[in-house]
Amino acid sequence: MEEFSINTKNQENIEILYLNGFLDAHTSVELENCLEKLIAEGKYRIIVNFDKLSYISSAGLGVFMAFIETARDNAGDIKLCGMSDKIYNIFDMLGFPILFEIYKEENSAIGKFS
Amino acid sequence: MDNSNKILLASSTKNLSLLRNFIESKAIDFGFDESTIIQIILSVDEACTNIIKHAHKYNENEQIEIETKTDKTEFRIIIKYKGNGFDPNDLNSPDMKEYFSKFKVGGLGVPIMKKFMNKIEYVHKNSDYNSLTLIKVL
Repeated sequence: MEEFSINTKNQENIEILYLNGFLDAHTSVELENCLEKLIAEGKYRIIVNFDKLSYISSAGLGVFMAFIETARDNAGDIKLCGMSDKIYNIFDMLGFPILFEIYKEENSAIGKFS
Repeated sequence: MDNSNKILLASSTKNLSLLRNFIESKAIDFGFDESTIIQIILSVDEACTNIIKHAHKYNENEQIEIETKTDKTEFRIIIKYKGNGFDPNDLNSPDMKEYFSKFKVGGLGVPIMKKFMNKIEYVHKNSDYNSLTLIKVL
């Protein structure tokens, strides 16, 4: 089984990333490269959908921390959605909802950009 | 699944998934519920990621030995490795409000271990022997 992959789409001038699999210190490099490319291209309105993500460690959490300030400084954001309870609990336990907007539904996250 | 309680892995982030599968099967056998199992898996992942990064500096020739030991109520994961070790108990967890306000990156592995495990024991004999034990109570 593939450990980790990212599918992307653009909708209403928002980049939506669909994460699949396991996000750890090995696979987080792929997510880092993906977000780095979007930011370099001036795409600051980003939604990350966790619906198909089974696991995240602190290496994965760190990737979002690395880019959110730049996104917000450029009138964008990185909004998160579609987390299972298992994944949400990890974010919540560390206090990530203080900084990140986390939505159950992708449509809610899209709506917040308009 | 291998019934052995011990695995020896090359020190590489490539092996984190193998490590998680090993811990998961042992934690299931012991009788933990799903949410506790994820806490244990995550803590061991964070511990080994730190070892790969900081003690072994991504040198895949180094090795990490992971062993599980159980009694009636305690599940212990003993991680043995060479190199510069450190005691997670010596590190204070960050103030998360400050962490987020300053957009800090990294440094969450130890806080995760401390939050999710009941006890952490560290023994350093010399550069050839470090032993980190993560303990979760049923």
